[in-house]
Amino acid sequence: MFGFLRPTQPLSGGLLWKIPWRMSSMQKYRHRQRLRRVDRLVECVDNALAKQGMTAAAVERWKMEMPTEAEMEPRDKYTLFDRNAKKYRKGVHKVPKWTRVSQRVNPPGY
Amino acid sequence: MSFFKITLIRSGIGMTERQNGVLKSLGLRKRMKTVYHPVTPQTAGMIMKVKELLTVSEVDTPLTQKEIHEKRRPPKGFIVENPLRPEATAE
Repeated sequence: MFGFLRPTQPLSGGLLWKIPWRMSSMQKYRHRQRLRRVDRLVECVDNALAKQGMTAAAVERWKMEMPTEAEMEPRDKYTLFDRNAKKYRKGVHKVPKWTRVSQRVNPPGY
Repeated sequence: MSFFKITLIRSGIGMTERQNGVLKSLGLRKRMKTVYHPVTPQTAGMIMKVKELLTVSEVDTPLTQKEIHEKRRPPKGFIVENPLRPEATAE
């Protein structure tokens, strides 16, 4: 009943991975760094094109639609809309491959 | 003419077919690989497709693969003060 014989879910059922409900402060910190890195990249690409007097549709669209890390509210940085979640929000760390995808905007009103 | 210096810092494993195709066409096969592409809207569009996986900077002259490799080589740890054949080391 105690120690390593404790019948917990991973011990009795085999593989069980759980994602915590909330992100840790360090996860949030690293997430902010990643957001900023994408911001820097877009800025760099945009500046380089502007020097040559060119624009790219993808860059223009990103700049128009997406807020930068500084402009984002904490609510949008760390959570996203989910119609099945309580209060329609879940942690952004539940998104598959969340460290390599951009998830910045949510439906208006949620 | 300026160039984008593009380095793959996050792996493309598990990303979509489309994103992996973009990485392939940029010439990025493994992590930490660096490639140079001219600054054009086409290149910018490709970079934007996989922007979460890359770091990008703008440079004036592209380096060849050999030059990149030489830059990464660690120091030899010794200095030859009196080379036997000076013309050999000058190259």
